[in-house]
Amino acid sequence: METFELLLHGFSVALQPTNLMWALVGSVLGTAIGILPGIGPALTIALLLPVTTALAPTSAFIMFAGILYGAMYGGSTTSILLNTPGEAGSMMTALEGNKMARAGRGAAALATAAIGSFVAGTIATLALTFAAPAVAELAFYFKPTDYFAITALAFCSVAVVMGTSRTRGFVSLFLGIAIGVIGIDAMTGQPRLTFGNMQLLRGIALTVVLVSLFAVGEILYVASRYRSTPGVMAPIKGQLWMTKQDFARSWKPWLRGTAIGFPMGALPGSGSEIPTMLSYTLERKLTKYPEEFGKGAIEGVAGPEAANNAAAAGILVPLLTLGLPTSATAAVLLAAFQNYGLQPGPFLFTSNPALIWGLIASLYVGNVMLLVLNLPLVGIWVQLLRIPRPQLYAGILVFAMIGVWGLAGSWMDLTIMLVVGLAGYVMRVYDFPIAPVLIGLILGPMAETQLRTALAAGQGNPLVLVSTPLSAIFITLAVLLLALPILLKRLRANA
Amino acid sequence: MSTDERNTTEGGSPAAAPASPKPYWIGIGLMAMGAVWLYAGFGLPQGARYAAVGPGLFVTLAGGGLLILGAILVLQIWRGETFEAQDAEDADGSTKMDKRAFLTALVAVALPIVTMGPLGMPFTATLSFVLVANAFGSRRWWLDLICGAILACAAWFLFNQLGLQLGRFFPPLGV
Repeated sequence: METFELLLHGFSVALQPTNLMWALVGSVLGTAIGILPGIGPALTIALLLPVTTALAPTSAFIMFAGILYGAMYGGSTTSILLNTPGEAGSMMTALEGNKMARAGRGAAALATAAIGSFVAGTIATLALTFAAPAVAELAFYFKPTDYFAITALAFCSVAVVMGTSRTRGFVSLFLGIAIGVIGIDAMTGQPRLTFGNMQLLRGIALTVVLVSLFAVGEILYVASRYRSTPGVMAPIKGQLWMTKQDFARSWKPWLRGTAIGFPMGALPGSGSEIPTMLSYTLERKLTKYPEEFGKGAIEGVAGPEAANNAAAAGILVPLLTLGLPTSATAAVLLAAFQNYGLQPGPFLFTSNPALIWGLIASLYVGNVMLLVLNLPLVGIWVQLLRIPRPQLYAGILVFAMIGVWGLAGSWMDLTIMLVVGLAGYVMRVYDFPIAPVLIGLILGPMAETQLRTALAAGQGNPLVLVSTPLSAIFITLAVLLLALPILLKRLRANA
Repeated sequence: MSTDERNTTEGGSPAAAPASPKPYWIGIGLMAMGAVWLYAGFGLPQGARYAAVGPGLFVTLAGGGLLILGAILVLQIWRGETFEAQDAEDADGSTKMDKRAFLTALVAVALPIVTMGPLGMPFTATLSFVLVANAFGSRRWWLDLICGAILACAAWFLFNQLGLQLGRFFPPLGV
């Protein structure tokens, strides 16, 4: 019952007028960037980071949560109407949703996506409400060894799951780790890999790397292979609402999608791609209308959309309780916490309950806002797609530039933006995953600290790393994960 | 770490970008980067007086990892691993690279290194805006110049108000 009281307290924080306003700002911004190409939630939050330093942390995180959830709503709109999934998580939605839209059932597809997102978001937030304190309680007993083992596990799963091949996933991860060691060593004060450059002493900020990889890399890449004939937008016509039959066919996929999405989102590396893929495969197996799949089956929209949103809540569990990011967006949220001098983890639950519970409560509020914002107003949102692409991408570069320059006013950061942006371009051309770089960059220094603390406590004996039951399990899992790609390949072949 | 036993999937359609089918240079580049990190790592104390491991260990690990991964990548490329460009919302991975557009956008990204300090953010952002819009095929560069200038100035005022240090408006005039 203690959780319930804390949640009530959280609502008293989230329902304050200023925080409600920030939740609204976040929801609007999130929906907008979910619809616009070339800009996603991770990039948006990274660009806002320097601006939000003037804001109270609670308000800032309430806004970020709105962006995180809103992007999921907005992403489904473009998948359905334009068949352009903005992110991997909406790929499956586009499969059936766009077919529905072309058959004149766009409104029903949008409705099942929005309501499914709402249902999944709310149930998953409920699950987060009760799972997070329990995990945090457990995390109190974690030793550095356990933390190191869990980051090692996160590294392996991110590298294995996110890339087309294990090698490419690990290349991305190690690039991130290598960038992460640049700067002053936190434990001894020794400068590392700074080549005598003063500006490199403070290390390379996650924001700079993220903006360069996501914004600059994307602009260079899209410019080089620009498809100037944009997809044809399917008009929203036909019956305006879901029929009774649509509802009957949607509610089970919503629940099943949630059940898949939430735990998968909490696992490192799975992001939103795998849960949506699983949900789609499952719905195709269970449906009573298998002949409709591939031609616009509503189950194929309802399930993956629910899974997508539930996964967004799922990533918050390891982030808030262990300080462990499992996706690019989670990595930038962790950077946001660090910007405020806060370290997510079990202690944050006791030291700053207003922030944690205000954030969780605002997720409920944000979901209601997003449902209201998206269902009736979808016609207005799609107008955003009328922004001509040349000016849109030019604008994104301007904001990227401001984000990097505004950080410290250093030309070194601008040079890094060019170099890392070029790397982002190369990674897109040769299909290397982007997110592991960011996970490696932000988790690398944490893994290093835990490793060194653990080894120091064990007087240098490497066996200390598997000395506790938890660490032994995690390290074993990490090794097993290296065999996972074979399994995944089968899954992809079936999907 | 095991080498990836993927048999090359023959997924590359004939129209796929013939973007240098054997990118050995990526593997070699990674190995070179790994070597730099390794060298730096060995130059740092591996052990410290109180902690069992010093600041050099992790650098060495990162460098060693990159070196090995680069070598594996070279091996895989030699064995015929395929590389297909990713699809993006407005990009088609299978089309040929438009060098002119790419270079124009690249200049837009490189420009701030030179002009941000001496000429200020609004000027730089306006110029980059025009360049990127041009790379994406916009030919109404007067309009882009006006749009870019409005966006850059508005953003400068707004973000300065919000507490970002974006420098002076146009340093050559001292404003």
